[in-house]
Amino acid sequence: MAVNPEEMEVRQDVVRRETAETSSYEAGAAIRQSSLWRDAWQRFSHNKAAVISMVAFVLLVIYVVITPWVVPYDPNNVDFSSAYLTPTWSHPFGTDEFGRDLFLRTALGGRISIGIGFAATFAIMVIGIAYGAISGFAGGWLDNAMMRFLDALYGLPYLPFAIITLAIFGTVNFWTMVVSLTIASWLTTARVMRGQIITLKENDYVRSARAIGARWYRILFRHLLPNTLGVVIVFVFLELPNVVLGEAFLSFLGLGINPPKASWGSLAQDGYQQYLSHPHIIVIPSVAIAWLILSAFFIADGLRDALDPRTREAA
Amino acid sequence: MLKFVVRRVLWTIPIILLVIFMTFLMMKAIKGSPFRKSERAVPPAVLANLNRKFGLDKPWYTQYFRYVKGVAKADLGPSLVLRNQDVNGIVKEHFPVSAELGGLAMLVAMLIGIPLGIISALRVNTWFDYIGQFMSNLGYAIPSFFTATLLIYFFASKWQVFPTNGWDSASAKVLPVLALALFPLTYFARLVRGQMLETLQQDYVRTAKAKGLRWRRVVVVHVLRNSLIPAITAAGPILGGLVTGSFIIENIFGIPGIGRYYVTSVSGRDYSTVMGITVLLSILIIVANMFVDIMYGILDPRTRDVRS
Repeated sequence: MAVNPEEMEVRQDVVRRETAETSSYEAGAAIRQSSLWRDAWQRFSHNKAAVISMVAFVLLVIYVVITPWVVPYDPNNVDFSSAYLTPTWSHPFGTDEFGRDLFLRTALGGRISIGIGFAATFAIMVIGIAYGAISGFAGGWLDNAMMRFLDALYGLPYLPFAIITLAIFGTVNFWTMVVSLTIASWLTTARVMRGQIITLKENDYVRSARAIGARWYRILFRHLLPNTLGVVIVFVFLELPNVVLGEAFLSFLGLGINPPKASWGSLAQDGYQQYLSHPHIIVIPSVAIAWLILSAFFIADGLRDALDPRTREAA
Repeated sequence: MLKFVVRRVLWTIPIILLVIFMTFLMMKAIKGSPFRKSERAVPPAVLANLNRKFGLDKPWYTQYFRYVKGVAKADLGPSLVLRNQDVNGIVKEHFPVSAELGGLAMLVAMLIGIPLGIISALRVNTWFDYIGQFMSNLGYAIPSFFTATLLIYFFASKWQVFPTNGWDSASAKVLPVLALALFPLTYFARLVRGQMLETLQQDYVRTAKAKGLRWRRVVVVHVLRNSLIPAITAAGPILGGLVTGSFIIENIFGIPGIGRYYVTSVSGRDYSTVMGITVLLSILIIVANMFVDIMYGILDPRTRDVRS
């Protein structure tokens, strides 16, 4: 079959175009690898405030975790000869009325404060996700009843609620503190999770999953819950400072963990007792709390923007 | 409209009953009777008498209904610890102080926070906005006991402009009100700023600008109105924040309010007082939320059926 050279050229042209398309397709493969999480990380890392806050947060955690291992002092050793030292190189935060090193005690207090914070936040997430998911997924009368119950709990003021729960336990230690703060603060997470589940339920992919006969647990665990992960991560950093602050308030009121153990709240209470003569003592734990709250706030903000660009605030 | 209001008002009744019930259950769950606290053992006969006097020998549901009946008649029952004093008397003595403190703080927060948010939004990304944002973040992050101590340290101890504690004179009220107002102030500023920025991007604002309306008029008529209505929803969280804050502030400034009394009552195991104050604060919050919903429903009819 004789081939017209002109036509031949055209064909070659087609072939050339095709190879060009394939190669551009291959170039696109790199872009396809960029997953949702990678995109989110890209956006997060371009947010200066969020990145600085992340560094600040990690530094605080490192200080709290490492210091008790490397500082040569005994946190509970009473030595009146070295009481009320102002900050020096050997005691960067000074000492308190018993001569105890505040650099060490603030770190130990941070272990308790942040430890309670993380433990309670974890519990809040578990309870909030379970409650919200059941309520939002079930719908109907169950959803209604669960939400009215939540409404009633919202009526209980935060601090009295936590105080009464502590009184029920009768003793204050790390775990009763975690439980009482969790009970007082899981409500918002549950409400938000319910909203998330209800919104996700209306998506086409959930409907089609249902239409092809997927069981409810598959829809819940495969299609709904994994997609709430972004909101959950944001809420971890929104709840953590709340819990830490709640614990600080309780300890400041003298309803917190018993001495000689200390949290940032009780250290602040110690400092408040002597703010006239030694004002620096209250400054240290307060700055630590503010440091944690601010960094968590900006991390949460950055994460929200990064994980769900649609909800980005006009800021 | 009327139907919506009536339904919303009626909803609060079961919610209040539920809150009283839960508070009641929690109180029952607390171990230890207030009468057994003292070092001297109370003779069993006296204990039985005391229990009978306060109705503690009855089954729990009788106690609960008696209590609800009391609350409905605005009677919070007797104090279990202070002889010859009932919770009503305690509330009457201490609550007005807290209400004044909270009310003044709210007023200060609104008078400063809302204009701050408005100006920040109108001058977004200027130095005013940046400083405002910075201060509001700081106010959000620094715990209230620290700001209160700072205020006392400088204004009361060092410069002696105001007294360090008390609630007797007008000048004594300045520092605690300021310290308590800081949280709601930053909350208002942040919220109003965000709402304003959102409204400023709406099509109707662009239209108003495009048809040649004066900017001042656009802001006042179109932007402010639609931005401040959502700020009403802040009343719930702010009231909660004020209650929490007043516990701290009253303790620091030695103000004879309900928050300080609450902490004393918990330590003294005066559970009927603890319960009375908890129920009272809860009803306050529930009713406030109800008013917010109703106001919001009236001002923005779209939200009326969302919650029911």
